[in-house]
Amino acid sequence: MSEFVTETPEIEPKTVIRKRPRPKKEPTPVKGFRLDLFDWIPGLKKFVRLRSFQFLVILPNLFVFHILFIAGIFGTPVGNKNIMIVFIWILWWFILIAVMVPFASRIWCAICPMPFFGDWLQRRALIKVRSGKTKGIKNKMFGRNLRWPKRLSNIWLQNITFLTMCTFSAHLVTRPIVTVGVLGSMVLLATFLALIYRMRTFCNYICPVSGFLSLYAMTATVELRSKDTDVCLKCKTKGCRTGSEDGWACPWFVYMGKLDRNNYCSLCMECVKSCPNDNIALNLRPFASDTQIRGYDEAWKGFIMLALAMAYSIILLGPSGTIKDWANVAETHAWGGFAIYTLILWSVALVIVPGIFYGCILLTRRLAKATHIPMKEVFLGYSYLLVPLGLLAWIAFSVPLLFVNGSYIISVVSDPLGWGWDIFGTADFPWTPLWPEYLVFPQIALLLIGLFYALNHSYQIGERLFGSSEAALKGSIPMGVFSIGITLAFLRFFTG
Amino acid sequence: MNSSGKSAVVVVLITALGGFTGAWIAWNSEEPTSHYISIKARQYAFEPSVIRVNRGDTLHIKLISLDVVHGFFLEGYDLDAEIFAHQKSFNIRHPSKGKEWSEVNEFTLITNRRGKFRYRCSHTCGSMHPFMQGELIVQPNTPFHASVGGTLGLFVGMLWTFAKRRKTRLFDNGEMSAPPDQSRRAGNRQAAPH
Repeated sequence: MSEFVTETPEIEPKTVIRKRPRPKKEPTPVKGFRLDLFDWIPGLKKFVRLRSFQFLVILPNLFVFHILFIAGIFGTPVGNKNIMIVFIWILWWFILIAVMVPFASRIWCAICPMPFFGDWLQRRALIKVRSGKTKGIKNKMFGRNLRWPKRLSNIWLQNITFLTMCTFSAHLVTRPIVTVGVLGSMVLLATFLALIYRMRTFCNYICPVSGFLSLYAMTATVELRSKDTDVCLKCKTKGCRTGSEDGWACPWFVYMGKLDRNNYCSLCMECVKSCPNDNIALNLRPFASDTQIRGYDEAWKGFIMLALAMAYSIILLGPSGTIKDWANVAETHAWGGFAIYTLILWSVALVIVPGIFYGCILLTRRLAKATHIPMKEVFLGYSYLLVPLGLLAWIAFSVPLLFVNGSYIISVVSDPLGWGWDIFGTADFPWTPLWPEYLVFPQIALLLIGLFYALNHSYQIGERLFGSSEAALKGSIPMGVFSIGITLAFLRFFTG
Repeated sequence: MNSSGKSAVVVVLITALGGFTGAWIAWNSEEPTSHYISIKARQYAFEPSVIRVNRGDTLHIKLISLDVVHGFFLEGYDLDAEIFAHQKSFNIRHPSKGKEWSEVNEFTLITNRRGKFRYRCSHTCGSMHPFMQGELIVQPNTPFHASVGGTLGLFVGMLWTFAKRRKTRLFDNGEMSAPPDQSRRAGNRQAAPH
């Protein structure tokens, strides 16, 4: 008993529920080979360290973007005769999903022109760096630099914006003016948010393209990482995150010492310039090296992407005229059909596929006798399977887009607005599908590659979660069945 | 070849075996027959949208457009047509043989290739034109059945690899006695005179 007498009234003892302390997030140990491309490609490091690097890579893109906008507004409304539709939804889309994402991570984000104006207003500089202090950052930034609300600091908004945008995809990918409207709104919103919120809030939390890039960049064969995390931990300035007189603070607020996934690194290369210890490497690595999904928002992005790949395979590449009529509501005015289509699309993406997946997870936990492991951990752990499955399905879906309709590119470069010009003498180049009857074979191969990675990771994830090879083997059966089901569905769409 | 290389070869072989099995199960040898099909084109669909026939069948096809000018490009059969609205006759050509069109009321096609072949509109007909297509499925659809077999084969192959990995882990952790051949070898080493 205490001998001290206090006048403080006695406080009723309350049951204090303490949250389990969160384990400190340590970077995941690196697996597989790594090859620093800065060492292997002469001049690459020097190039990315140029202060003008990002401006130089965005500039041509910005120029093309303007031309596409002009074509979208003033050119023909016939999609396959307008350079905006042909370049964006055939050429850009294929390069993005089949080349950039798997082989160059989020390189698109480094060259994307959409946040250009916002960056400019925030920095009031195109090339040089401004030293100074702005709310914990060692760069002088303009605008209000508010923090984005914590409740919205995830990719749920991106999930919803992407699903909404894709609900109208039949209009988006066929009508230039709709594409202008959507992309124009994105530029305006990115610029507006840059004036209010700090850094690249739009890219981080709203951009619908960014959401799926973040997910699928996990598979990319390149990564930007610190060479030695101990050097980062001892670093006093943390220039990568806070900026320095040599480089801007990371627009994504990434601290390189803890970066162990590609999800939120846009390869802008500012950290290569701002790191005082020359501790940044651009590594070549095996495909699908980042394997951790860290939130339901990311898992649901995987479900949404998978469901959309299925939906597009039916609507755009399928034979049913009725479904096309439902999706093409602006022309057919089939509002009832459009409501059914929207309901099915959203239910499949947000409830049905996740529900089936959840059922498989329940079975996995039971078979692996791992009911003591929290459901969330198992669910998120295995949801990584959606990444290789989804990405390869999207690439398989995109193959016919390029090979069947790619010849439109040749004609629109000569007549970008569809006004009857013939700049390079190719305006009358006929629609010539390339080997359309053989495209099923690369599609099958791509789907099987996706399945291989999903199956292989299902075992590895099981080992990581359950710590036992026996449980991993048993757990890989329901997850394998799920992956096979998805693969068979796509095989049915493409070849059956 | 190391152990993972051997596993990869076995997985590929089991996948291929699954593929062959799938193609073999679906194989049929039905007598060829004739089909008379009238395909109606409208913005942005063909009716019928899916045609299922057997290999060797003879198709007598008429093409009619219900609204605007459409095309009819049949993959794998070197065939392209131009269909005018509400007309009985249409133009047809073989793209590999030149640009000249011939006006016909019907054309005949012998389905000598197996698989799924899409017929697409080849004449810009509106906003959704690039996605206007139908499907000619010539049974047995070998690529589909082989790929289904291959998918199941891949699953079996991967399960076999996991089981093998599991055995190795258990042995490494000392939870399982060494396989007979390894015990023998280990025993021999111990028994060897120094």
